[in-house]
Amino acid sequence: MIDYEFIKARSLKEALDFLGNYEDVKAIAGGTDLIVDIRKENVRAKGFKRLLDISGLKELEFIEKERDRVVLGALLTHTSLIESPIIEQHFPLLASAAKTIGSPQIRNRGTIGGNINNASPAADLLPPLIALKAQVKLCSVRGERTMSLEEFLAGPYKTNRQSDELMTEVHIPLVNEDYLGNFQKIGRRKAMNIARLNLAILLGINDGTIFDPRVVPGAATAYPIRFGKVEEAISGKDIKDIDPVEIGELASEEMISFTGVRWSTPYKRVALASLVKRALESIFQEAKVDE
Amino acid sequence: MFSTVNKPVERIDAYEKVTGRAKYGADLQFAGMLYGKVLRARYPSAKIKKINVERARSLPGVWAVMTAEDVPCNEIGVIIQDQQILAKERVYYIGDGIAMVAAESLETAARALEAIEVEYEEIPGVFCPIEAKNESPIHPDRRDNEIIHHKLRKGDVNKGFADSDVILNREYDTQFVEHGYLEPEAVVAVPHENGSLVTVYGSVQNIFATRDAVARCLKAGLSEIRIVQNHIGGSFGGKDEVVSSMACRAAILALKTNRPVKMVNTREESIVESYKRHPYKMKYKVGATKDGRLSAMEIEVVADGGAYACQTPFVPWRSVVQATGPYEVPHVKTDTYGYYTNNVYTGAMRGYGSPQVIFANESLMDELAQELGLSPLEIRMKNILRNGSVTASGQKLDRHEVSLAEVIEKAAKAIDFEEKYKRYSKPQSGDTRRGIGMAISYRGCSLGAEAVDAAGAVLSIQKDGSVYLYSGLAENGQGLKTVFCQIAAEELGVGMKHVTFLEANTLISPDSGSTVASRSTLVGGNAVLNAARRAKDALSKFVADQFGLSSSDLVFEDDYLFTLDGKKLISFAEAANKAFWAGVQLSHVGWYVAPSIHWDEEAGKGNPYFTYVYACQMAEVEVDMGTGEVTVLNMAAAHDVGRAINPEMLKGQIYGGVMMGLGYGILEEVEIDEGYILNLNFDNYLMPTSKDMPTIIPIIVENPDPDGPYGAKSIGEPTLELGAAAIANAIAQATGKRIRSLPLNLERVLLGYPLKKGRGKK
Amino acid sequence: MSKIEVNITVNGAKHRLEVGPKERLIDTLRERLHLTGTKEGCGVGECGACTVILDGEAVHSCLILTAQVDGSEVLTVEGLEVDGRLHPLQEAFIQHHAIQCGFCTPGMLMSAKALLDKNPNPTREEIKTAIEGNLCRCTGYEQIIEAIESAANELQAASH
Ligand SMILES: Cc1cc2nc3c(=O)[nH]c(=O)nc-3n(C[C@H](O)[C@H](O)[C@H](O)COP(=O)(O)OP(=O)(O)OC[C@H]3O[C@@H](n4cnc5c(N)ncnc54)[C@H](O)[C@@H]3O)c2cc1C
Ligand code: FES
Ligand code: FES
Repeated sequence: MIDYEFIKARSLKEALDFLGNYEDVKAIAGGTDLIVDIRKENVRAKGFKRLLDISGLKELEFIEKERDRVVLGALLTHTSLIESPIIEQHFPLLASAAKTIGSPQIRNRGTIGGNINNASPAADLLPPLIALKAQVKLCSVRGERTMSLEEFLAGPYKTNRQSDELMTEVHIPLVNEDYLGNFQKIGRRKAMNIARLNLAILLGINDGTIFDPRVVPGAATAYPIRFGKVEEAISGKDIKDIDPVEIGELASEEMISFTGVRWSTPYKRVALASLVKRALESIFQEAKVDE
Repeated sequence: MFSTVNKPVERIDAYEKVTGRAKYGADLQFAGMLYGKVLRARYPSAKIKKINVERARSLPGVWAVMTAEDVPCNEIGVIIQDQQILAKERVYYIGDGIAMVAAESLETAARALEAIEVEYEEIPGVFCPIEAKNESPIHPDRRDNEIIHHKLRKGDVNKGFADSDVILNREYDTQFVEHGYLEPEAVVAVPHENGSLVTVYGSVQNIFATRDAVARCLKAGLSEIRIVQNHIGGSFGGKDEVVSSMACRAAILALKTNRPVKMVNTREESIVESYKRHPYKMKYKVGATKDGRLSAMEIEVVADGGAYACQTPFVPWRSVVQATGPYEVPHVKTDTYGYYTNNVYTGAMRGYGSPQVIFANESLMDELAQELGLSPLEIRMKNILRNGSVTASGQKLDRHEVSLAEVIEKAAKAIDFEEKYKRYSKPQSGDTRRGIGMAISYRGCSLGAEAVDAAGAVLSIQKDGSVYLYSGLAENGQGLKTVFCQIAAEELGVGMKHVTFLEANTLISPDSGSTVASRSTLVGGNAVLNAARRAKDALSKFVADQFGLSSSDLVFEDDYLFTLDGKKLISFAEAANKAFWAGVQLSHVGWYVAPSIHWDEEAGKGNPYFTYVYACQMAEVEVDMGTGEVTVLNMAAAHDVGRAINPEMLKGQIYGGVMMGLGYGILEEVEIDEGYILNLNFDNYLMPTSKDMPTIIPIIVENPDPDGPYGAKSIGEPTLELGAAAIANAIAQATGKRIRSLPLNLERVLLGYPLKKGRGKK
Repeated sequence: MSKIEVNITVNGAKHRLEVGPKERLIDTLRERLHLTGTKEGCGVGECGACTVILDGEAVHSCLILTAQVDGSEVLTVEGLEVDGRLHPLQEAFIQHHAIQCGFCTPGMLMSAKALLDKNPNPTREEIKTAIEGNLCRCTGYEQIIEAIESAANELQAASH
C-alpha cells in the first residue's frame, strides 16, 4: 500500500518552496496517470511520501500567443487544447492528437504537463510536440531553465527533470503556412485507446519541395524521437518524386535499428510503414489542394 | 389484439435506475457493518505449506481472519462439488482465495491482508486442455483431468464421407472471455436476521444456487438461509458460482463476528477470480456433394474447464447438440470434452457453448462454399433446417415454425447482402477493403434435457385491485420484471401501474432453478401466466355468480370486467374488493413444467430441447490492409422470438448482444500466460465503446410457439452468439484470408497470427 | 495520517469535510454523503460509471482525490431531479429503453448532461464522442444515443 501526505499548493511559489524543501515529493496535476499508478502500486508511483497537488494553480492554465511562439501553461487540459482557437489555428497537429486522448472525462482532467512528465512511450502529445520543436520550461527555487522537449525526455517514463523542479510552461515556436502536419494513431478500438502506434509528421513544403521535415513516431521506440534517416530521405525532395510506400518501409527499418526485433516488431514493422505512408499521402494531398 | 403484451411499455425499474435510487449490492449499509476482503493466491499451482495469520489478527480494527480450516464445508459446486471456498492445501488457479478478513474499514482489511504470511511450494501446473488429457490429474482425488465427454451420433460418418465429393478438414479455436458486467460482484451477509441464520443481499444471479452453496458450506438447512437479490449490474451468466463463493465467505465471516459483512470485489479481483467463457479447440471435418449438399460432419471439441468443474459438465452439452449448425446433415459424429487445467475456471456466459461452435461451423460453411464455388447464401439455403427436418440429434422439428429461411431473407434484404457480396467479391484496391459476411443459428430454448425445467410464480390481487407478483427467477438487467408484469397485466386486463414486482428471496419465492439459458420468458413467463390465470379464474367465478353469468362470459380489459358483447360490469378494483370480503382466494401460486424431452447420453441422440429459436446476423466490415484495423460498418440481426412481449426491450437485447458479439469477434480476450492473467482491468481488457458501434438493424420475426406464453420464446443469448462468426466471414471476404482463431485483433488480421507479450518476470 | 479540510458543494448542498489523503471523490460521495447513485466499475478511469460533473465538466470521480477539489461544485445523478421533476434526460432514458441493468446509467446521464450543457444541439457523432468513455455492456448504446438525441430536442423546444 502506498501511503503519503497530501499538500495543496496555493501558489506556484508555495509549490516550488515545497519542492525545494523536501526530497520525496510527487506532484499531482489531473491525476489521470498518477492515481492509476498508485492504485496499481506501480514502481513509478513508489518512493514518494508527499503528494503536492498543483491542480489548483490557475496561473499555469493559460494559452498566450507571442510574436514568434505560443506559450502554454503546463496545467492546460487536453480539452482546453482542443477548444483553443489559437491551437486550432496554429497547431492543428497538436489538437488532432489531443482529440484522440482517452475520453471526455480524461481530456477534462488530464494535462499537457502530466502527459509530458509521465513520459509514456505511447503518450499522444509527445510526437506532435517534438515535431513542433516544443521547448519546456522548468522552475525551481534555484531558478528556471528551458530546454527542448527532445532533450527533456530521457527514456521510457524518464525525464531530465530535477526533483525540485516543476514544469510550468511549454513553448511552441510558430510555423508559417508552408508547414503541413498530420497525426495518426492506431488503437485496438475506436475510442479510449492507448496508442499501439502513433505518429506525427510535420513538413515544410515550398513549391512542392520538402524542407525541414520532422517525423516522430510514438510507441515505436523506447520513447518518441525524430526519425533522422526518414527525414533525410525526404528533405529537399519534390513530393512528386517521393514514394510514400518506400518511405514507410524506411521508417520501419529505422525503428528496428533502434529497437532490434521485439515481440511486437512483426506487427509494428508493417503498421508503422502504413502509418507513415498514410500521413505522407494525406499531407501531399493537402499540399496539392493548397496550390 | 393485446393491450399490454407486445407493446413497448416502460421498464418498471427505470425510475429507480435513472435517479440513482436503485440499490445495488455495494450500495447497502447496515449498522455495525464490517468489510470483508480476500487474500488471493500468488501462484496458479502450488502447495500451501503454511499460513500465518497472527500478525493480521492482532491489528486493531480486525475482527476476523479465517482460512479454509474455519470453513465448515469447503467444497461447493452446482454439479460437481470441487470448488474451494478458500484454498486448503492446494492452489488450483491464480484466483483462489487463501484467507479472508473482516475489518472495520476497507483500508484496515487491506492492511490485514498484507500482514498475512503464506508459504507456498510451487508445483508445475497444466495449462493446456489438450495436454491435460494425458497429464496426471490436477485434483488428486480424480482419476484423470476429464470433466466430461459428450457425444452425438447420427447415421454413419464413414459412409457419409465416402459419398462426398469434397472433404474439408479445419481447426478453429476461441479465447477466454470475461463477462464484463459493469458492476463487480458485491454481497452483504447479515447474521441472524428475522428468523434466518444468515441473510445475504447482493448481486446474485441465481438465488437458489447461491442459497444451496451457502447452506452446504455452513452445513445448515436450506430454509435457514435467505438470499435476497438486489438490483444487479449485469451478469450475462457470470454472477453465479463466483458470487456463491463470495456469499459463503461473507456468511462465514458474518456468523463468526456476529456483524453484517460486506464484500465487494475490485475490478481486478473480479477478473482474477471470476469464471470465464470457455475457450474451445475445435476440429471439423465436413463432406459435401458437388452440388453443395452436406453429407457428413465429424467434430471434436475440447473445452478448457480451468480449475473447477463449475458448468463444464453442461456447457459442452449444448455444443454437442448444436455443433453442426442449423443444417440437415445425414451423418454426424460429434464429441465434446471438457478438461481441468490450472487456468481460471470457466462457466456459464451468455451463449453457453454456442458462440464457439457457431464461429467454427459458420466459418466452415463459408470455406466450403468457396471450395464449391457457391455463395454463402446458396450453400446455406441448400442445407438449412426447415419444417419437418431432422436435426443432428435426430429430433424432428414439427411442433413450431422452423423459420431459418425467413430470418435469412429478412436480414439479407435489410443489409442488401447479395448486391454487396457481389460487389466486394470483385478485386478491390486501396488501403481499405470491404467485405460482408453472414452467420445463422438455431438454439434450443431453456435448459434442455439435462435438467429439470420447472418454475413458479406467486401472484396476489389486493383488495384495492392492485397486484403484486414474485417469481423464483430473477432480474439480471434483461427486463424480466417488466416482462413478467406485462404478462400478468395482460392476463388480468389491468394497467401495468397496478402491478408490483417483488425482488427474489429464497425464503419466499418458489424455487424455480436458475435464471439461465434464456428460459425466463418462456418457462418463468408461463408460470406467471399460470398464476395470473388461477387468480383470474377465482375472480371470474365470483363475479359471474354475482351477475348470474358464467365465467366464460367475462372479459377482463382496461381495468374492468365486461360481458362478451362489451357491456361494462364492474371495475377490476371493485370486483377484487368484493371478492376479498367474500373470502375468495386471491393469492395464487403458478407453476409450469416444460414439455418432456429426453437425451440418451450413451447413444448420443434424442430430443434435447422442446423448442428452438432461429436467427441470422450479417456484418459488413472495412479492413485497413496496412494496419489490421477493422471497422464494423453495418450489422443486420434477424431473430425469430416467437412473440415479442416488449419489442423495445427486445431491440435492446439485440443491440446489446450484437455489440457483445462484436467484442468477442474482434477485441476481447482474457490473456493468460501459464495460468497468470495479464489483463486485470478494463484498461487492458477492452470492450466495445460507443464509437465501435456499427449501424445495427434489428429485425424481429414473430412465429408464435405453441408452448410459449403468448407464443414467446427467447432472445437473450441468441443475439450474442452469431456476431463474431458473421464478422469473421466478412473479414475473410475483405482480406481474402481466413483466420480461424478469435479474436480477430490487429495482429491476427494483419499478420494472420497473434503476438504474445508474455508476463515478463513475475 | 493528517486530515485535510475540504469545502465542497454537492447537488447544491454545502459540505465541510475532513478527508484523508487517499480518499477519492467517489468514496466521499458514496461512503460519506451516502450518494450511492455514482457507481464504481473499474477504479481506473476506463468505465465511466463514476462520472460526475465537477465545476461544469464531466470527470471520473474515481481518479480525483477529494482533497484536490476544495471549493468545487459537484453534480451527481441524485442532483438531476429538481423538485420531484425528472430531468429531460432521465425521462428520455426511461422512454427510449436506454436502461437495462442500470449500472452505467448514472454515469451516462452525467456525461450526457455535460454534453448538452455545452452543446445543446449535438450531432449523433458528437453524442457518441461524449459517451465514448462510458462503457455499457448491456444496451449496445443505440437506445442511449436515441435518448440523448430526444432529450436534446426536448430541451431545445423548451428553450424556444
Ligand atoms: C482511461 C485513461 C485513458 C487515457 N488515454 C490516454 C491517451 O489516449 N493518450 C495519452 O497520451 N494518454 C492517455 N492517458 C494518460 C493520461 O491521461 C495523460 O497522460 C494525461 O495527460 C496525464 O496528465 P495528468 O495531469 O492527469 O497527469 P498526473 O497523473 O497528474 O501526473 C502524471 C505525472 O506527471 C507529473 N507531473 C504532472 N504535472 C507536472 C508538472 N507540471 N511538472 C512536473 N511534473 C508533473 C506527475 O508528478 C506524475 O508523475 C489515459 C489515462 C487514462 C486513465
Ligand atoms: S470507476 Fe471510475 S471510470 Fe470506472
Ligand atoms: S445498462 Fe448495464 S451496463 Fe449499461
